[in-house]
Amino acid sequence: MAEIRNYTLNFGPQHPAAHGVLRLVLELDGEVVVRADPHVGLLHRATEKLAETRTWVQSVPYMDRLDYMSMMCNEHAYCMAIERLLDLEVPLRAQYIRVMFDEITRILNHLLNIGTHGLDIGAMTMVLYTFREREDLMDVYEAVSGTRMHAAYYRPGGVYRDLPDFMPKYTENKFKNAAAVKKLNESREGSLLDFIEDFTNRFPRYVDEYETLLTDNRIWKQRTVGIGVVTPERALALGFTGPMLRGSGIEWDLRKKQPYEVYDRIEFDVPVGVEGDCYDRYLCRIEELRQSNRIVKQCIEWLRKNPGPVITDNHKVAPPSREEMKANMEELIHHFKLFTEGFHVPPGEVYAAVEHPKGEFGVYAISDGANKPYRVKLRTAGYAHLSALDEMGKGHMIADIVALIGTMDIVFGEVDR
Amino acid sequence: MSTRLERLSDTLRNVLGARIDKLVVDRGEVSIEVAAVNVIETARLLRDNDELHFEQLMDTCGVDYRDYGDGIWRGPRFAAVSQLLSVSKNWRVRLRVFAPDDGFPVVPTLTQIWPSANWFEREAFDLFGIMFSGHPDLRRILTDYGFVGHPFRKDFPISGYVEMRYDPDQGRVIYQPVTIEPRENTPRIIREENFGNVGNG
Amino acid sequence: MSIEGVLQEGFVTTTLDKVINWTRTGSLWPMTFGLACCAIEMIHAGCSRYDLDRFGIVFRPSPRQSDLMVVAGTLCNKMAPAMRKVYDQMPEPRWVVSMGSCANGGGYYHYSYSVVRGCDRIVPVDVYVPGCPPTAEALLYGLVQLQNKIKRTNTIAR
Repeated sequence: MAEIRNYTLNFGPQHPAAHGVLRLVLELDGEVVVRADPHVGLLHRATEKLAETRTWVQSVPYMDRLDYMSMMCNEHAYCMAIERLLDLEVPLRAQYIRVMFDEITRILNHLLNIGTHGLDIGAMTMVLYTFREREDLMDVYEAVSGTRMHAAYYRPGGVYRDLPDFMPKYTENKFKNAAAVKKLNESREGSLLDFIEDFTNRFPRYVDEYETLLTDNRIWKQRTVGIGVVTPERALALGFTGPMLRGSGIEWDLRKKQPYEVYDRIEFDVPVGVEGDCYDRYLCRIEELRQSNRIVKQCIEWLRKNPGPVITDNHKVAPPSREEMKANMEELIHHFKLFTEGFHVPPGEVYAAVEHPKGEFGVYAISDGANKPYRVKLRTAGYAHLSALDEMGKGHMIADIVALIGTMDIVFGEVDR
Repeated sequence: MSTRLERLSDTLRNVLGARIDKLVVDRGEVSIEVAAVNVIETARLLRDNDELHFEQLMDTCGVDYRDYGDGIWRGPRFAAVSQLLSVSKNWRVRLRVFAPDDGFPVVPTLTQIWPSANWFEREAFDLFGIMFSGHPDLRRILTDYGFVGHPFRKDFPISGYVEMRYDPDQGRVIYQPVTIEPRENTPRIIREENFGNVGNG
Repeated sequence: MSIEGVLQEGFVTTTLDKVINWTRTGSLWPMTFGLACCAIEMIHAGCSRYDLDRFGIVFRPSPRQSDLMVVAGTLCNKMAPAMRKVYDQMPEPRWVVSMGSCANGGGYYHYSYSVVRGCDRIVPVDVYVPGCPPTAEALLYGLVQLQNKIKRTNTIAR
């Protein structure tokens, strides 16, 4: 009998289930994966090197473009690193705003993850439902920062501006008459906070909808239960963080364990999985959606009662207001210096980590006292997760690789940087 | 310094003893420097010692110190910096290893201690050219297939040496020498001590 | 084709070119060439609120079945050969929409060593959509512009 040899299959880089530009070289024995060798770097844009050529604050928008599903969380880690280097105090209101937007971002990210994961393994409708809610949250982003995705809203020392008092509204056109537009605008009549509150009231029902579609769905369960099981010990050794680690049953959440900003004042629970398979990780994410919703609600309540400054009044770091700048010579000099040269960060190094929707996002920044970073290293969760694909995929069918890529929540902006 | 950090640095001193070349506590973080020959032993202690218990390696990155402070740097040029996290003890430490030789930087790999180091070390090799002795699979990871040089070294220009375009005659994508001019919007400046010091602002 | 072509007798006279262009604009099937951030906006354009399907634009995962490529995101050196290969696999007639400043000219990453400074160095581009990322509406507008461009082309009458 002729010897049966394994064969090698090239998956990607242009593949709809590759979540971007993943190239996998799979060694297959029949349909069983023997070895998976991910080739990454197809979206390597040298963010870290580019950050070395720009001033500290000019690199904030680069952070948006890293993990383009959870923009503000990336900024958060970067701004935290700068603030720690500068030893800078952030106003309390800014901290609440940051926490609120971190959680909105988490909802955005998990919605996309659940939607596309469903799309990849056969639940076509999910993506239409989750993107409906994403549109609402994108409007929130747009109202607060002016852009739907890459906000650059967090700045060293606080956030760029206070929450706006109004939401953009739909206008009448030849397809929608006044009554239809009025109905669409119902939740948009008040301030941004009113809109978010309305969303948080609606959102638990939406999550129930997703659960109806997926949680007990037979096909969904067949595709995810028992797939990609990672034991807690291996999850630690492989450097997993976030839902990937919690899905394996380890209770680790930086928001609880090493609280930053105001997470220690906020009530929420951390869901933990049992089996460590794709299905548990999905359940964790669903529960995180609900918990994030809860956090956003608490932040709204606080933000309503407590007006105040949203960015530090230290004008060596944050620009003065336009009025002050026009009236006061010293502020004009500050403004000029800040926008021509940027601020100088004292020499030192920090590692600032946040609980990013995907796991731990860390910024390791080294400053030598210049107006530009000496070195910025971005520790992204997806990179560590993807490196474990070989181990997780071994012995699974080729179709399960798609489920694994989905459950890892891979985004190539952050893997390749 | 908070008591926690004191406890961590005391424990590190007790457990690791003379293996630590330098221990710095700065901005709420502890970093230790270890000579390349002692790394494996130190890493094993860091992971397995009951009082330290650093189960997770969060990150390993290369650093090129050539231009640090515009030429005030004295010492080896390349370092591999790892961030360790202990889930059970809830603390972090930074482990820095300098490569003794600048021309051919080699440091021992940590993959047999923490498997997650695998890709991080590949990345440091790719971008900085730091060799990790004992690494099972030290290939380039982020840069293009057939890339020449180590792009994150300080002597590598940001725009590189080559760029890509489609050549209709050959019917394929080819590399050609870079055609754009370098541009610097804001010059890099290091000011004297305390200039723009936030504390005095 | 326009309504004045309808005659009293209830039939239509038109040129073959117009019919061809009408069929082409009515079923532009773009390939999902999502590279980076812009891909998210591209999905948004295809999903609930903006719903590209009503323009007959249905995403296809295979280059063999598609006649439009939306280059959504930063094109890197490592990806460029793959992209050219995908473009070569698409059947004629084919169009390319360059979406976002990275694909238009490198954008924010223009000076990076690993980025192709504009996807028009690799493939011919029909419509450039500016923005970083362009909103879903902007992409929609770009696609309508492409439809207008197709309507103006002559296949038979030269």
